[in-house]
Amino acid sequence: MEITLGTFLALGAILFGIGAIGFLVRRNVLIQLMSIELMLNAVNVVLVAVNRYHPDNHAGQIFAFFVIAVAAAEAAVGLAIVIGLFRLKKSVSAADANLMKH
Amino acid sequence: MGTANFVLFGVCAFFALAGAVTTVAAQRPLRAAVALLVNIISLAGLYLTLSAHLLAAIQLLVYAGAVVVLFIFVIMLIGPAAEVKGKGEGLPGRTLAIAIMTMVTGTIAFSLVDAAGNWLALRSNPDFGTVEALGAELYSRALVPFEIVSITLLVAIVGAVAIARHRTEGEITEAKAVHAKAVEVREEAKAEAEAAAKATA
Amino acid sequence: MNIEQALPWIIGLPLAGAIMNGLAGRFANRRLVAFVAVGSVLGSFGIACNAFYDLMVMKADGTGEVISTTLWEWFSIHIPGLTGFREIPVNISLVFDSLSGLMVLVITGIGSLIHIYSLGYMSEEKSYARFFTYLNLFTASMLILVLGSSFPVLFVGWEGVGLCSYLLIGFWYENTAYAEAGKKAFIANRIGDFGVIIGMFILVGAAGSFEFSAINAAAPGMATPLNFGGLAIGSIATVGGLFLFLGCTGKSAQIPLFVWLPDAMAGPTPVSALIHAATMVTAGVYLCCRLSPVFMQSAVLLSTIAIIGACTAFLAATVAVVQNEMKKILAYSTVSQLGFMFAAVGVGAMTAGFFHVFTHAFFKACLFLGAGSVMHAVHAHGDADIRKLGGLKKWMPITRWTFLLACLAIAGVPPFSGFFSKDEILLGAAEVAMHETMIPSAVGWFVFVVLFLAATMTAFYMFRLYFLTFTGDYRSAKKKAAASDEEDEEDEEHDEEEAHDEHDDHGYSPHPHESEWPMALPLVVLGAGSVVVGFLGLPHLLGEEWVWWGHWLEPSITNLQMAGEDHIPAYVAMAAGTIAMLIGVVGAAVAYRDKNEDKTTGKIPKPIREFFFDKWRVDELYEATILRGSRALGVLAGWLDKTFVDTMLTGATAKGVQLLGWASTRIQVGRVHAYGLAIAIGLGVMSWYVLYPHAEVAFEVDDQNATYVATRGLGYEYRWDVDSDGTYDVPAQPVRVRIDIKDDASPQELFQVVNVVRAALASDGLRPADRTALGHPVGLRSEKVYELAPPPALLENLLAGLERLEILDGVEVLPDPHGEVFDETVTVQHAYDEDSYVGYALLIGQLRGEPRELRATESGTQFDVADLGQRWRASEEDATPPAFKQVEGGVEIRPNGAMVRVGNEVRSEPFVLGPGESANVGSSPVRVVPVARVTVQVRNAFGNVDTHSEEVTLMNSGGRVRVAQNAGGAR
Repeated sequence: MEITLGTFLALGAILFGIGAIGFLVRRNVLIQLMSIELMLNAVNVVLVAVNRYHPDNHAGQIFAFFVIAVAAAEAAVGLAIVIGLFRLKKSVSAADANLMKH
Repeated sequence: MGTANFVLFGVCAFFALAGAVTTVAAQRPLRAAVALLVNIISLAGLYLTLSAHLLAAIQLLVYAGAVVVLFIFVIMLIGPAAEVKGKGEGLPGRTLAIAIMTMVTGTIAFSLVDAAGNWLALRSNPDFGTVEALGAELYSRALVPFEIVSITLLVAIVGAVAIARHRTEGEITEAKAVHAKAVEVREEAKAEAEAAAKATA
Repeated sequence: MNIEQALPWIIGLPLAGAIMNGLAGRFANRRLVAFVAVGSVLGSFGIACNAFYDLMVMKADGTGEVISTTLWEWFSIHIPGLTGFREIPVNISLVFDSLSGLMVLVITGIGSLIHIYSLGYMSEEKSYARFFTYLNLFTASMLILVLGSSFPVLFVGWEGVGLCSYLLIGFWYENTAYAEAGKKAFIANRIGDFGVIIGMFILVGAAGSFEFSAINAAAPGMATPLNFGGLAIGSIATVGGLFLFLGCTGKSAQIPLFVWLPDAMAGPTPVSALIHAATMVTAGVYLCCRLSPVFMQSAVLLSTIAIIGACTAFLAATVAVVQNEMKKILAYSTVSQLGFMFAAVGVGAMTAGFFHVFTHAFFKACLFLGAGSVMHAVHAHGDADIRKLGGLKKWMPITRWTFLLACLAIAGVPPFSGFFSKDEILLGAAEVAMHETMIPSAVGWFVFVVLFLAATMTAFYMFRLYFLTFTGDYRSAKKKAAASDEEDEEDEEHDEEEAHDEHDDHGYSPHPHESEWPMALPLVVLGAGSVVVGFLGLPHLLGEEWVWWGHWLEPSITNLQMAGEDHIPAYVAMAAGTIAMLIGVVGAAVAYRDKNEDKTTGKIPKPIREFFFDKWRVDELYEATILRGSRALGVLAGWLDKTFVDTMLTGATAKGVQLLGWASTRIQVGRVHAYGLAIAIGLGVMSWYVLYPHAEVAFEVDDQNATYVATRGLGYEYRWDVDSDGTYDVPAQPVRVRIDIKDDASPQELFQVVNVVRAALASDGLRPADRTALGHPVGLRSEKVYELAPPPALLENLLAGLERLEILDGVEVLPDPHGEVFDETVTVQHAYDEDSYVGYALLIGQLRGEPRELRATESGTQFDVADLGQRWRASEEDATPPAFKQVEGGVEIRPNGAMVRVGNEVRSEPFVLGPGESANVGSSPVRVVPVARVTVQVRNAFGNVDTHSEEVTLMNSGGRVRVAQNAGGAR
């Protein structure tokens, strides 16, 4: 059995799907943030795998690099917001983040 | 690429999936964070099978070393309240979400397994994935985006500090007033709606 | 600087003056304002004199008839002409010819005098700079009007003078009545301007040019009927000319739009003199003269103008007889005199009409300025009631004498200027009455008689005005009580009704005085002009060498052609004019000379007198009909707006939007997860679109090739069937080359392989996509087995090159696993190969646009009669349209008795038309063309497949089918 590009793409798709389900289903903002990280990582897997299939340059890896950087930034800001929410509501449930509701 | 590669892939893929599922499914955030760590380390291993050595290292450093640690910090900071007790509400919506995402993911994954070619027969670039080659390209072709990313990080730092810092007394009073006002408005609206409903009834 | 370059400055100087005074005048002192205003017009007059002199020299030398200059191209438009659409430029260009030259001299010359006069008259005015700004702007606009060589430029001036007229009538806008008068003038002019625009489009559409010269050159063709949506409504000249004349009635105050001019006297008196007597109101006459060749094409048009002109002259004269205010009398006199001019235009005596414009400018300006001088002297504001004046000759000798000269001129006393011009008009009417011309002689008789009466009344009311103002005793010097007793009771009532601000219990200033020099100088000049300018147009009676006016205007103005040579002698008209004058003057002298009260007009029966005084109640008529009608229309529109638009359209829409908004608030639940779910659903839809390919074909067919383009998509691969055989075509490149390199190949030997591949890469005609397919030679360095997918064109070169190398274990041509893969674009030559097509279609030529395609079917179809032109039937009884159906080897056409020809041969039996052959059915050419079925199958990266088929008509063998312009043939 050979490991092909398709295997990696499928793996990436499944990881993304798990992350998406987690984001949609969980009420805990912390776990939702982690789900976002999962999705970003899944995209990175696809980028790196496709880059491996076209090894003339490193565009995919560089893109993955940027995704990691942005993910780090996102985590920092996101967690700051979680802390803000916690201060306000004494809770980290997304269901409590409803001040903007009409 | 031989058996070693295949085994590495198998192990990493298994732990990546297992970590992901645990992250999503865990009730306690700390457990989820650890599972995320497992997932991230496995992905680093996968990057190694894809000749992305530098990226594997960065994955460990940034994700495992920084992001996950940040998560754990926050979980610790929040304490027991970090765990949200499920109340079982919104069940139809959750089921629908799971169904849709499973269908989409499944279709894509099964379509992709056989879709694209096998790269093992391709000529390989010996420089591919090395730190030198990636670095050279990063600082030549991708220089401008690289610099922009640095600014993004700076903005994120400032933003995080701005959001998470302690409020002054005045700000707290003001925020509380705003919150109280919002609650009051909502109560009023609710009361009005009830009055209206009563009137129509 | 030659005179062409100086020409724009005739306009430019007053315009610059207006801009300077308009922007900075309120900050400058009065002397500077006056200097700029008067200096600019005087400078303009100087240039105009220079240009006029040059034109005289040119004409004398025979070197030219016009001075013209083009400044820039303003815009250009597409208009439909006889041979398709044409680009027609509209240039800002100026023409100084004999006609516009005279007008320019009048405008700048009299304009200068009136500017000077205004220095004195307006000296106590607050808005000094504003007044001169408007006045200069008016001068510039009027000059644009007369100098413009094309309709749009003239129209700019036409609107410009209308605007300035409005601004100056409402100059004292604090007074509501004056502002209303300005509005009235503006609205009446708008109605006329609408006519000018329509007339302009009609004439421009017929002539294919905006230039007056081109329109006049095209005038002989304008006697043809104007086809208005299939309805012939008179000739182009008649309809276009009537619309233009509507514009003239507005601008030049003719029936039915004359009502604004009397009210326009609300403006300062110099304005009345310049705009509402000497220049602007004559623009209509100018336009008629400018387009005289066009006007000469239509007897209906000329008769209409003549009758309306004569009627206006008569009507206004009757009103003037009973008026009591100086400017009112002069205003109606102006309307009356304009009626004379249009009557002249209408009887084809354009030259005479324009001569009257010229002379009238002098004596009417002089009269107005004299009236202004009187009002200034007695401190009357707005207007002066002649019943309260009298005996002013004692105090105001200059005003009196110049006023008298002008009165003599307008009354037509020989040899003052009005005598000559009025006599020419009467002569023109008499000529029409006595001769065989295109205008009915009854019109000529009518015009002659009516003008005779009008001339009589003119002499009468002018001398009534003169005697009551300047002779007798000064009535304002008495006490009010005495004056009141003498006045008729009814007159008193009218006075109160009419003269709103004029009701002056104390009369005028008891100490009138002669005006100072800025006012007196123009009076003297104009008075002198009133005497002498008539000699420019001496009648033919004295011999041809004396007739300067007619010869000067010959190139610019076309007059009516008389049938016979025996013109009636001019002294007939002269005698008539003199008799009319004598009756009027003597009558007025008997009635009013040294009389201190107006008893004569009081003897006219009261209903008639009041009817005349109320200007025939035309305003009331308009009020009752047009205004009330439009108000009713407004009420109706308001009701419709409220019930239909507001309630049903707007209301329903608002309700709908409200409902949508309410629905959106239901979606905005405020829970993050609900939003996430929405994203997920969107993602699902997008995934479906990406996962499943969409085959679509666009195609382009020309005479030799058909090019099919499938819609591109992410990772699509394409399979094509372009020869209609139902199976996918096998592409010409189902190969890959496998190069197996020996294990012990040295670097040099590897380099040779690289070189061969590079050489193939460098071959001509290689597209970037082919390069990718061939691969990159760098990779050869470390691989033992290498696969290339070269394009077929390179395959042989590559194989030949590789065979020469001895370092290879073997070169193998492999079948491509993606064998049926094509590009998204396929181009095929289409020839007449029976197997490649699924049927035939008929191309039917259309008069406009692309030919129509009709697919031939096995069961047969009838032609659409609309395609076949009017004459498809062989006989009237035959109602069955021809039919066609698909048969082996072509299309069978069944004529069914219709006119069907192949070449020149008429076919009545069914026959088969092969592919590429053509025939004529009715008046439409038809050609048989093959139809191919194209199928494309796309497969995306996920292996999903979609298929799409399209029938394509192949238009080969020789050009398009198109009906020639004249083949429609039925009409």
